[in-house]
Amino acid sequence: MTLTAAVTPARVRRARLFRLPVTLIAGGIILLISLFLGIFPWLVAPYDPTAFDYNALLGPPSPAHLLGADSFGRDVLSRVIYAYGLDLQIAVFATVPAFIVGSLVGALVGYAGNVVEAVFGRIVDAIITFPFLVLVIAIVAVLGPGLNNMYVAVFILDWVFYARLVSAEVRVQKRLDYADAGRVMGYRPMRIILRHLLPNSISPAIVYLMTDMALAILLGSSLGYLGLGAQPPAAEWGVQIADGKNFMNTAWWIGVFPGIAIVVTGLGFSLLGDGLAELLRTKK
Amino acid sequence: MPSAATATAPALSVRNLTTTFSTPAGRVAAVDSVSFDVMPGEVLGLVGESGSGKSVTLRSIMRLVHAPGEVTGSAHWQGRDLLTLNERDLRKVRGGEIAMIFQEPMTALNPVLPVGLQIEENLHAHTTLDRAGRDRRARELMDLVGIPEAGRRLHDYPHQFSGGMRQRAMIAISLASNPRLLLADEPTTALDVTIQDQILKLILELKRELGMSVVFVTHDLGVVAATCDRLAVMYAGRIVETGPVSTVFAEPRHAYTRGLLGSVPQSGAERTMLLSIEGTPPSLAAIPPGCAFNPRCSFATDICRTERPALLEIAPTHLVACHHHDRVAAAGSPVAEVAAP
Repeated sequence: MTLTAAVTPARVRRARLFRLPVTLIAGGIILLISLFLGIFPWLVAPYDPTAFDYNALLGPPSPAHLLGADSFGRDVLSRVIYAYGLDLQIAVFATVPAFIVGSLVGALVGYAGNVVEAVFGRIVDAIITFPFLVLVIAIVAVLGPGLNNMYVAVFILDWVFYARLVSAEVRVQKRLDYADAGRVMGYRPMRIILRHLLPNSISPAIVYLMTDMALAILLGSSLGYLGLGAQPPAAEWGVQIADGKNFMNTAWWIGVFPGIAIVVTGLGFSLLGDGLAELLRTKK
Repeated sequence: MPSAATATAPALSVRNLTTTFSTPAGRVAAVDSVSFDVMPGEVLGLVGESGSGKSVTLRSIMRLVHAPGEVTGSAHWQGRDLLTLNERDLRKVRGGEIAMIFQEPMTALNPVLPVGLQIEENLHAHTTLDRAGRDRRARELMDLVGIPEAGRRLHDYPHQFSGGMRQRAMIAISLASNPRLLLADEPTTALDVTIQDQILKLILELKRELGMSVVFVTHDLGVVAATCDRLAVMYAGRIVETGPVSTVFAEPRHAYTRGLLGSVPQSGAERTMLLSIEGTPPSLAAIPPGCAFNPRCSFATDICRTERPALLEIAPTHLVACHHHDRVAAAGSPVAEVAAP
């Protein structure tokens, strides 16, 4: 404390930036680029994602179509870029509601303890014994294909994981002195939970959120591939890979480049998650 | 003796407080039929070894004993029993009328909120001040507890404070709404000696300024001598001796008190061996029959092994639970001079 007090604030800030985990910076850069592509695809993409070019049906990578063209003569590069918007939307919409609701429920459950926690534990057991993807597919099949129903299906299952993480953390935190200090200062239980315990218990859930976003993109692509997620002709990586499947031997570029986009974006979220975890750990 | 402990009605009156925990070895009593009074403006020291039930006593009074623990007895605060008070009234008393500070200031502060916000939160809960008023009061409190550059430090997080400053911050938060009673659970144990002294002085100053009563839990008799008007010595969950500090220091009547006094190093003229009490405190699950202290006591006779001595008033305001208090008194005090507060 006394050592840093002599250093100027600007220098402290610069020093802090350099102390950020490399993974956090790398993940952040990947996701910032992804976000830019998602918001302004027309600035980068050479063609409209649904424009047909009948002279380039199944055309290989060439100066006109850098990553080739698909069976309708649509530019693969443009479709990969336009898909950023949709796939990032999937990453956020499929996870953030579950994150918010799950964390709140988890905090309440962890604070209540005893019976409530035991009942919740059984619900968790019931949900996690089934393979996640199979359950999502079952729910989407009942609700009907489409992205909105996919969000609903993922939410129904996914909040449990956040709730479990946060409740375990709250169970530890509520025994610490500052929670008792809050009680002894006459704060209401809700205030202690939301203002004191939740912020101290949320970091594992935030780290998991990052991983979960990567998983959501994979899930969105899987469902797109199965025809249960985004519907053609929407540019979405899973849909594109499903398209490319039929031409794997003759036109590999249709499926491979969206696949690479999935890997890179997923990597971005994972790196960011790792970096956040490291940052939150060292801060503690 | 100090005049504080006479005549007027007690501010806090604890009667037969018993706190039991169920363990695999059966129910054990961490606090066993403890009764004491705290007068307005008085500083009471609650003294004993680790595990003697001092902290649990405080926690029981504030209803902080968690699930497997069970509290019986009564703790009357201004005519109301804290142990049976409903949640709403309890919230008003907690923090508003009675404040508590903890041993480890790092864990007792919320690590993710700036200190200023934590002071404001207490003000928000217990006063009608508006935002500007709370901000002003938060600065005043930081000044009051001796945190320099109050305005700037309000925005700092607990980890940016040193141990002593953290305890000052904790005190500032606790005192935000002018409580009438401060329960201090070993507030200086985690701090180094020079800081200890500052914090003790601070608490005494604040006590005088705000007219509070203080219950001081400590295992440090030096702290008691420097701060308290009266002390209550606890052993294995029971109070074994209580009285004005000067009386008890000059004429301890329980062998345990005598042993504790003998174990305090003194800066006297003669060099003498530091006395220690042989043995260890009993496990709460296996408290010996009779007087709990008998296996470690050099005065013990047969009656001590069979009959538990009652806490009796052997002189006005001086209570002791020992069959042989006369012999203990005759053996004299190991403390040559009483450092009166």
